[in-house]
Amino acid sequence: MDKILRIDMGADGGPKATVSPVGDYAGLGGRAMTTAVVSREVPPLCHPLGEENKLVIAPGLLSGTIASMSGRISVGCKSPLTGGIKEANSGGQAAQVIARLGYAAIILEGNPKTDDIYKILINKDGAAITIDNSLRMLTNYDLIPRITAEFGDNVACMSIGTAGEMKMNVASIACTDMELHPSRHAGRGGVGAVMGSKGVKVIVLDDTGMPMREAKDPEGFKDANKRFTAGLLKHPVTGQALPAYGTNVLANIINEAGAYPTRNFKEGRFEGTAKISGETEAEIEVKRGGLATHGCHEGCVIRCSGIYHDKDGHYLTKQPEYETVWAHGANCGIDDLDAIAMLDFLDDTYGIDTIEMGATIGVAMEAGLATFGDAEAAINLVKEVGKGSHLGRILGGGAAVTGKVYGVERVPVVKGQAMPAYDPRAVQGIGVTYATSTMGADHTAGYAIATNILKVGGYVDPLKTEGQIELSRNLQIATAAVDSTGMCLFIAFAILDQPDTFQALLDLLNAFYGLSLTGDGVVELGKKVLSMERDFNARAGFTALHDRLPRYFSTEPVAPHNVTFTVKDEDLDKVFNW
Amino acid sequence: MEEYPSSLVSQVVQDGVILTSRAGCSLREFLTEECRIPPEYIDTRISTIFLDGSPIDDIDSALIRDGSIVALSAAMPGLVGATMRRGGFYSSFRSSITHAESGESWRAGMVPVRLKLFNLIMDELGPGFLKRGVLVKCRDLARALARQPDDFWEKCRNLTVNGERIECQRLRRDHALFSGEMALLTIAVTGAAS
Repeated sequence: MDKILRIDMGADGGPKATVSPVGDYAGLGGRAMTTAVVSREVPPLCHPLGEENKLVIAPGLLSGTIASMSGRISVGCKSPLTGGIKEANSGGQAAQVIARLGYAAIILEGNPKTDDIYKILINKDGAAITIDNSLRMLTNYDLIPRITAEFGDNVACMSIGTAGEMKMNVASIACTDMELHPSRHAGRGGVGAVMGSKGVKVIVLDDTGMPMREAKDPEGFKDANKRFTAGLLKHPVTGQALPAYGTNVLANIINEAGAYPTRNFKEGRFEGTAKISGETEAEIEVKRGGLATHGCHEGCVIRCSGIYHDKDGHYLTKQPEYETVWAHGANCGIDDLDAIAMLDFLDDTYGIDTIEMGATIGVAMEAGLATFGDAEAAINLVKEVGKGSHLGRILGGGAAVTGKVYGVERVPVVKGQAMPAYDPRAVQGIGVTYATSTMGADHTAGYAIATNILKVGGYVDPLKTEGQIELSRNLQIATAAVDSTGMCLFIAFAILDQPDTFQALLDLLNAFYGLSLTGDGVVELGKKVLSMERDFNARAGFTALHDRLPRYFSTEPVAPHNVTFTVKDEDLDKVFNW
Repeated sequence: MEEYPSSLVSQVVQDGVILTSRAGCSLREFLTEECRIPPEYIDTRISTIFLDGSPIDDIDSALIRDGSIVALSAAMPGLVGATMRRGGFYSSFRSSITHAESGESWRAGMVPVRLKLFNLIMDELGPGFLKRGVLVKCRDLARALARQPDDFWEKCRNLTVNGERIECQRLRRDHALFSGEMALLTIAVTGAAS
């Protein structure tokens, strides 16, 4: 990973690829790489779909190695949804293959001068960019068989569906999983629309002939990976709960806490949760011959995913995860797992962010376009998006656009991005992160729950309310750092409770690169990433006033606890004081 | 090792089963005495507990009252999952909903308590509760039975409802074999799990 592949889609005479040394970006991976490139090279005031924006794709620091959980890929750009900087990351196979091909980043630049559709093949011989208009408006699930018929099964793909081609704010970039299903998505912020603006339908990645990346200290690396993996497997969350039930195991708990947003965030508890819980979902998957335990990429040992079959025992989609089940389920009043799985499939094949789409349908239901609980109507609304009807174009603009078009007052967004599956009135600390994240409302922005191990920002009394500001800051710093390693964020649970597992992670990095990184170094990396992102957003026109939740969260109590969001604005403004 | 019909256990205990408890006892006493859960299991395995929808940090000060709802969970993923843990590092994140004893008095005597079990706790403790017998709402039980797959009916030979042993094939044909608001359900395991 010592080189960067740049593809200028707007070059005279057609798209042109150049390879350069990694240079000033050496030592960066994942989110640190995408953020560094976007903040330095993209004019903050550019139009997100214009030629000045860039789409940066970066594997993690340990991608392409034997390290467990090292297969996350980061995609960065200026977001068409938020207007600010964006990093969306995904599982699937792409990160491992790109890293083995030796690229620290692939950067798509410029916009094509024609409306042709391009496919890009990247293999050991370089990059080949060709026009293939026969791929136009194919869905992801229709596209991939066409690609494998042409290039074989030993490839990984990053692609957009119809939503990306139509440059919708909800558009995602799909990454194929180990079975070559386009089921893993860099979902948030409309990154698929930026890929669509570059005219690129699919990037085909083939690492045939490329070896596994070698560590500087192979024995130390092997030993650290062994300890790291053992730490993950012995922890009750990463070794038991997640493999058994998947991320949707959270549904019952969040519902019990009254923090499960229901019917467009009107209530905090959904009466149909037991029907759509992770426990029930896993049971259905096993009963129908699917899988309740499955990895999304090579090297995953947590295996929080699964395979969801329809009633006839045929593959329908991957296991819909917690956020998806919530967004299309409780948030829309739907308690039918088969309908939710169908919605997940439609999102994946059209290339749509499931959180944004579920939130948008919730807003549409509030506007009267459908009735809460009407699963068939929800499916039809997503189909409208996929085919790009006038209604679909509005919904494809996301929750904020839909709310404006239909005059809905209660639209759960921050910086234009829909909130995920936790009501910030019941869990106020996550409301702090929703409000202040550089990414818009984002539950993963403050997810790396290892701040006590990292000692980020010193000791914080967890029982004091004011600790929420410090904790949110520390969580965002830690998350930015983990996102930069390319490790799956779920490693955070084992790290939280097991200092030796955190040390094993540091040892992995150190043995691979010949470094002597400490926890302090990780913290500094996280701060550096956030500072670059905050700076970009400030230059793009964001101020403290954008770091706020919609007003109604402070004025309208949510049942069952009847609480409002009470964190003061002046406290929110302190989150990034360091 | 005995195997239980997991789908029935799952559906019954996620919705909640009714136990009786002494009013005014602490949550710890309820768990150890009424639920017969070993103290070590409570301290090491049940990391997340809700009382009437509020996360609990101190199970010795939280008190059981008439109609209390108790939910038990193992360690959960996600930041918010970690936030809900008993006395967890991130508990301030949910301080607005954390349980605080009201100091209200209670009527002495035995009272009904609804117990919900989730995730690993559901799998590990659920069968034991059903073996000992629990009160369930007849409506919930009928709904759960109606959703059972064919292999459940093939493998599970009998259930005991309100003290009456009912042959499963009869029950499959006629859910009205039990009626009223509540039923005392015991699953007598004579077959393998579904």
